[in-house]
This record gives sequence, C-alpha cells and structure tokens, in this order.
Amino acid sequence: MSAILASLAVLGCGAALAAVLGRAPRAGLAAALLAVGVASVLCIGAATLRLTEGTLVAPITLDWPLPLGTARLALDSLSAWFLGAFGILGLAVAPYAWSYLQAEIGHGPVAALGALLCVLLGALILIVTAADAALFLVGWEAVMLSAYFLVLFHHGRPDVRRAAWTYLVANHLATALFVVPLFATLSAAAGTIDFRDFAAAAHNSGPATCVTLFVLGLIGFGTKAGFMPMHVWLPVAHPAAPAPVSALLSGAVIKIGIYGLLRLLSWLPALPPGCAVLMLAFGMASGVLGVLYALAQHEIKRLLAYHSVENIGIIGLGVGMGMLGQSLDQPALTALGYGGALLHVLNHALFKGLLFLSAGAVIHGTGTGDIERLGGLAKRTPINAALFLLAAVSICGLPPLNGFVSEWLTYGALFGGALHAGTTTAGVAALGALSLALMGGLALACFAKVFGVVFLGELREAGLRAERTPALMRAGMTVPALLCVAIGIVPGAFVPLTAGGIGAVAGLSAAECASSMRPILAPAGRLSALAAALMGAMLVVALLRRAALRSVGGVGPSVATWGCGFALPSARMQYTASSFAWPLILSFRQLLWPGRRTVAPAGSFPAHAELETHTPDLAEHDVFAPLFRGIDRCFRMVRTVSWAGRPALEAPRGNAGERIGPLRVIAGGVLRALRRGSVHVYLAFLVLTLLAVFAVESLESPGPPAVEAPATGAPNGVTP
Amino acid sequence: MSVLRALAAVPEAVVVLALPPLLLSIIAKTKAWFAGRVGPPWLQPYYDLYKLLRKGVVYSRTTTWVFRAGPIVNLAALLTAATLIPILTPGALLGFAGDVILVAYLLALGRMFAVLAALDTGSSFEGMGASREATFGTMSEPALFLSFIVMAIATRSLQLSEMLGPQLAGPWSTIGPAMLLVVGALLIVLLTETCRVPVDDPATHLELTMIHEVMVLDHSGPDFAFILYGAALKFLLLGSILVHAALPHTGWPAWVDAPMRLVELAALAGIVGVVESSMARLRLNRVPLMLAGATVLASLAAVLTLTRSAA
Repeated sequence: MSAILASLAVLGCGAALAAVLGRAPRAGLAAALLAVGVASVLCIGAATLRLTEGTLVAPITLDWPLPLGTARLALDSLSAWFLGAFGILGLAVAPYAWSYLQAEIGHGPVAALGALLCVLLGALILIVTAADAALFLVGWEAVMLSAYFLVLFHHGRPDVRRAAWTYLVANHLATALFVVPLFATLSAAAGTIDFRDFAAAAHNSGPATCVTLFVLGLIGFGTKAGFMPMHVWLPVAHPAAPAPVSALLSGAVIKIGIYGLLRLLSWLPALPPGCAVLMLAFGMASGVLGVLYALAQHEIKRLLAYHSVENIGIIGLGVGMGMLGQSLDQPALTALGYGGALLHVLNHALFKGLLFLSAGAVIHGTGTGDIERLGGLAKRTPINAALFLLAAVSICGLPPLNGFVSEWLTYGALFGGALHAGTTTAGVAALGALSLALMGGLALACFAKVFGVVFLGELREAGLRAERTPALMRAGMTVPALLCVAIGIVPGAFVPLTAGGIGAVAGLSAAECASSMRPILAPAGRLSALAAALMGAMLVVALLRRAALRSVGGVGPSVATWGCGFALPSARMQYTASSFAWPLILSFRQLLWPGRRTVAPAGSFPAHAELETHTPDLAEHDVFAPLFRGIDRCFRMVRTVSWAGRPALEAPRGNAGERIGPLRVIAGGVLRALRRGSVHVYLAFLVLTLLAVFAVESLESPGPPAVEAPATGAPNGVTP
Repeated sequence: MSVLRALAAVPEAVVVLALPPLLLSIIAKTKAWFAGRVGPPWLQPYYDLYKLLRKGVVYSRTTTWVFRAGPIVNLAALLTAATLIPILTPGALLGFAGDVILVAYLLALGRMFAVLAALDTGSSFEGMGASREATFGTMSEPALFLSFIVMAIATRSLQLSEMLGPQLAGPWSTIGPAMLLVVGALLIVLLTETCRVPVDDPATHLELTMIHEVMVLDHSGPDFAFILYGAALKFLLLGSILVHAALPHTGWPAWVDAPMRLVELAALAGIVGVVESSMARLRLNRVPLMLAGATVLASLAAVLTLTRSAA
C-alpha cells in the first residue's frame, strides 16, 4: 500500500515539476517521464506482491481526512491485476515517449504533455485503488480530463479538436446519465459511500434493482470501455493523440471501463441468465463489428483503434460467461470466463500497447499513417517490423503467443456453456464461440493486410522518408514484447495469478477458487508442451532446409519478383490494402454498408480511372447523429436557446459518396433478399425461425438444470 | 510409461508422415481415370518432392526473412497439429482437454504465414491470391468451429481424440441427421482449406483465377517442397477429422482399425477426385455463399443437437 502512495507522490512531483519547467520543455519532459517510469515500477512491484501473496487476503485499507470525508484506498487482487497491467504499459511508454517527443520540442506543449501523462497514470492508479464512490469518481473525472487534454496535443488541427470534443461529450454523457446514477443508487441503498457496504446493500435491495444497476453499469462503464454501439468516440479519439498517448488510451484507459464493470459485479449477487446473455450480446456485436470496421480502415492508428473495440468484445464474452457461470452456479464456468477476461485485459494492454507504439514508430519514421502509401519497411526497420509482427500474431490469438492463451480460456468457457447450460443459454454460448471464431479469422485477415502492406513488398510512394527507429523507442517496445512471449510459452505461471481477481469478482472463497481453477491449470501446462513442440518443429524444418540447401551449394542469385511474364513491375502495381480487404468487406456488406466511388476508364484510349472505398461507422452516422439532430430539433421546438450549435457527433457532410443509409433501404433490402431466391438466405431464415421457436419454447418450460461435471473437467492425461 | 507410449507411436508417425503425397496421387489417378488417361505414376508426388529438395532456391530482391520463414512456420504448424489429431489410431500423441481450439488456431497460424510470404513478394498476383486465401479461410472458420461444437456437445468432451473417438457412435444413432449435416459442412471446409474444386482448381493455368497456386508462385527449391508437402499434410489432417467424424469405429481390434482408416482415407481422396472430375470451379463470388451454406448446415446441426441433448 505504501508503494501506491509513493507512486502517487512521485507522479504528483513529476507533474508539478513538468508544469513548473514549462519554459524548459526538455527538462520538464524528462522529469515527468522519469516519474512515470518510477511510478510504473512501484505499481508492478505492489501488484506482483499482492498477486503472488496467495488468494483472497483481506484488503488493506488506509484512512485519512479529506474535505469529502474519509478517503479510503484499498488494494485487493482485482485492483492489483489492473494496476500491474497499467504499470507494465507505463514502463514501456516512458522511454518510448522521450524519444518520440524529441521532434516535438519547440513545436508543441511537450512539458504539459509530460505533466498530463503523470496526472493520467496517477488517476488510473487512484481509480483501481479507490475504495469509496467519491474518490472513484474523482479519479474517473481526472482520467477523462487529462485524456481530453492529451488527445488535444496537436490542437492546431481541426480534426483533432473535433475528436477530443467527441471524446469529452460521449464520456461525460455516459458518466452523467449512467455512472453517477449508479453510484447514487448504491450509496442511497447502503447509506454510505464506502465500497465495503455496497455488496450488502445490493444483496438487500432485490433482483429488479440489481438488474437495473447492472444495465446502468453496462452502458456507463461500457461507453468508457468502448462496447458497440457506444464506441463512437474511440476510433476518433485514439488515433488523434500522439502514439505513446494512444498506447495508454487503448491499453489502459479503456480498461477502467472493464474494471468498473467487474467491480460492480463483485457487489451484485448472481444475476439472472438474461443479464449474462445481454453481456454476451454486447461482446459479440463489439467483437465482430469492431474487427469488420478495422478491416475497412486505411489509416493505421484508426485501424488499431477499431481492434480495441474488437478486443473489448472478446473481454465482454469472457465476462458474460463468468456471469453465466455465477447464475447457473457452475464455478468452473465462472473461473474460465472471468479468468479469460482478466488475462485478456492484460494481454490486450501488452499487444495493443506494442502495436500502437510500433505504428507510432512507423509514423515517426515516415511521416504518414496512411497504409496505402507505405510498404517495404521491414527492410529499413527490421526490428520494428519484427515487433509489429509479434504483436500482430498475438492479437490474432495465434499460438504460441499470449493472445492464444486468453482466447483459449474464453473458448473453454463458451464451449463449456454450450455443453452444460439449458438450451437457450447453450445456444447463446455456441453463438459466442462461433463469433469468436469469426473474429479470429477476420483479425488474421486484417493483420495480414496491415503487416503485409506496411512492412512487406516495396515502398509504394517514392520519396517518402523511411528513417530507422531510435534505440530508446525499441527499448520501450521490448517490455511488452517479452511479456507477450512469456505468457504464451509459460501460461502455467501467469494463469494462476488471475485466481484472486476471479475470487474477488465472483465472491468465491479461496478453497472454491482453487478447486474451480484446477481444471484450467493442467491443460495450461500442456500448452507449454505444445508451444515447445511447435518451436521444435520449426527448428527441425529449418535445419532440413539448411541441409538441403547446403547439398546444392546454397541460395541462388537474387532476382526480381516473377511478374507472370510482365517485364517492368513497379511498386505502384502492388496489391493495395483496400483490394486485399474488399472481398471480405463485400461478403459482409449487409453489416457494414460500405461505399465506393468509381470513375470508370472510358473511350478507346482510357487515361484516367479512379476507385475509392470507404466504410463509415453506422453507429455514428445512422444512430447517434440522427439522435442528436433529433434532440437538437426538440430543443429548438421548445424555443430554448440552442447552446450546442452543431451536435458534436454530427457527420461532416459531403463525403458519403454513393452510399445510401441502411435504415432507408432496409425494408426494400429484406424484400429483395426474399425475392432473390437465394437458397442460403432461405436456409438462414429457416435457422433463425427454428432458433426463435426453440427460444420461446424453452422460456415457457425452463430447461433442465445444469449438468454436474465442470467445463473442461474431462480427464486430460496422455491418451492411449 | 510415456516413453513406451511414444515408442509405440513411432510406426504410426512414420506411416502418417509418408502418407500425404500418396493421397494426392489417388486424386490425380481418379481424375485421369475419368478423363480416360493413364495419369502420372503413383509415386509422382514423391519424385516431385525429391527433385525439389535437390534444387537450389532463387529469392526475389523484394523479399525479406518473412518470405523464408513462411514455408517453415506453415509446415511446423501442420506437423504440430498432427500430434493432436487422431489419424490412424483413435488416440492422439499430445492430446489434452481443449486441444480442439489449438488445432484450429495452428491451421490459422500456417495460413497467416503463407499469406504474409505471398505479400512479401510485392507481386500483385500473389497479393490477389493472398487476399482470396485470407477471405475463404476466414469464412470457413465458423463452419469448422460449429462442427466442433456439435461433436463436443454430442460426446461431452473438448479433446479432439475423444470427440472423434468411439463415443461418437452414440450420437450417430440418436442425432444422426445432425451428424450428417456436420459431415457435409466438414467436407466443404476440407475442399476449401485444401484448395480443391469447386473452390480452387489446382490444375488451372491462368493466374487470375488461382488461389493457392498463385500465392506460391515465387517459392522454389526446398521451400516449395515444404509447401507442397504441407498442402498434402493438411489434406490428410482435415480428411482424418472428416473420416473419424463420419465413421466411428467401436470396439475394433487395432489391426483392423488402422488399416480400415487407411482405406477410408483413400476412399475420401477418391471422392474428392470424383468431385473434381464431375464439376467445374465455382465463380469466385459464389464461394462465400457456399461457405455461408456450410455454416448454415453446421448451425442447423447445432440447433438439432442442443434441443435434442436438452430433451
């Protein structure tokens, strides 16, 4: 606990120094980043001690008088888990930011950025260690404001100002309309603002109130986390900030939404399965739509921001299965679900942080984030390319890296739900597994696209500078990279650390927690064996190749790529990112409504042709923009002074191309699909109807209770 | 104990490693028989591999280490997956609870590196092939996972060797229609993932219509041998899953069981040969519809299984 206070003090000093040293930006930045680094190490230390100490030790509390009353800080296993993730990210960002921001000294408010980074990290620490509602909300507001100003770093650009404003409006609306009422209800029921009294208050206040509280939390915290369709601010705000800030925003700041949700669940009794199904639905929608929108992006940081929406969806699937395990009273399902979610929180902080830092290095070295202009960077910045590839393989959930471990746990929970729940919930779990599989495949396509187009092949735009990545930036990036590998290869050392967090959320005793973790741990050990087998196989094949090549005298001459007979290939003829993604976008056009603008080649001697694809965000343009326009109109109708001018989320006009809004054509579309006579559409309708019939039937006569065996409790020795 | 077990697995491993090119040969012979030709010699795929292993390699100036790593990672991922899938005997070497997900993701890892190696050449043809491979691979994944879910629910297990073991005989008698749908979905997945007609035509000569062949245009020598062998091994692995799902052997003695699996795999290769001889390739924009159809088949099976297992 003293480590937490020390890190808060260090961050305070760092922020103050940086603020004072505004005239000497270099010294101010150095002081602030040093404070971030030291505080991060302290956080990692405190979190590691707390997590390895054993499961479920009583929280340590510290009281002191403040104007708002007694402020309480506590560090339980759930807090420690998030604290550790923030610390690791801070440690990666501090050296990186020093190198990254050198070019900005003299152009932007660099010292202020350093001070705000200190405030942001301090507020994050405050949120996860706060043990009363007032302190939590103070931290919540501090995170929001500091992130707002951090996004505004390049405040000269109008798009950046718009992005920051969108961020502020969306998050403040969610806080005011959902998070504050949530805490107000809980405090009213408990009579205090102490977190320790909330659980008893929630247990006493009846199931209807608990469901209402959960829905408030899901929307309020879910907006911060970036669940669809409340995500609209995320892909706008994250790319607008400088890379180290983007890494913190995507890696750490959106996680406090998940933290808030889990903290809320730790107070609530087991909720009805419907709540879990709602959570799963949000998870599936965020995951699938997030990765589909990511696939359609051409700007590298915006693409990564949409992947954050996807990964929040994966975390949501884990949380949903944990809740389902609670409501069905199946501890194994609970452990798998919450365990997968917690591990994915850490994993996403690692690989998404690394991806944003690596993408930042690309932008730093070339001056552009438009992937269609880049190419061939693997030859100029080989280490940055290797780090990006490592993070890309991780985020796609491919073995033997860390993303696979948490997705594997989540799959375990979803398959377990399909095996052991009643018909309807089992169907939802199966649907979750299906969408997770789809997300995996789409993420693979997306990262093959972005890595292939940015780092492989040849540079598409001649004259683009492609500078090397500075050493300090690389040093910062190796921190998450090493952990990605470690968690992937030795999951048995990291998975047990989630036990305390699972116990805290689900209210399990130490013994229950240990017994429900057991079926996970043995296969987690087998994952190491398989990772070793995979690397052994790579070694054997590589040695075989070497032996074969040695017998014929090595590698032949380097030549130009075979162009199928075309003699003069140029870098401009390479496959573009848009073309790579277009078949998939087209396959999912009913979900995405992509637009394209073409100028077809004409005449006998065509000289000019154009093709442009763009996929605007449906939630932004067809849900929130009309909603806010409607609200605006209502205000005008009652002749109130229109204080907002133009709604913050309104779409900029004139770039929609040939695209027609989906709501206008949806009726026509359904009719056309019915008339088209496509067998697959009929089959799909058949399945949907069947599902609906079964759902109605199982609602009327509740299915049999859950089966006794735990999710993956099957014998797991070597098979005969 | 585990050492003994590992030793006992050696003969099976040798057969499994030697088998894949022969399956391609069976397909080629079937097609030749349909066309009234003699066809290439039975051992032609082995001769090809031997020839390629004794040749040097030529690399494009555009490529990096990713291009060289592609075939190695791809083959290594498939070899690792082979230790988790029951092929000739009901057991798998390294199986564990939850390995079914690892198998699917190892196949995806191989695909990722095959696609990246293609993009590394900077050729628009190979980029086009990579795009198609990524698209169809993505769209076959839901059908594969739904089939796994059905078998997991039917056998109450998450270990592939148990999901495809003798326990599957029970589901065939209780939820036979669902299992039939699963076999149909798995057949479509097999044809897609191994790039056979009606998704991809390995015999085509026009780069614009190719998928897998155009992706590997620039590979040569041992690298290309690894790719060809990997493609054959993938056919064996997915074919084994299909054969085990379709025909569970209950209580068969080992000396009948393993040879029968060989016969069934050969028959599957023959069926693929018949499909290739009797129909044309689908238009490229029709392939996603077929894969969506496979997903729908598998979801119907899942709905049937869920309602049946609850009743």
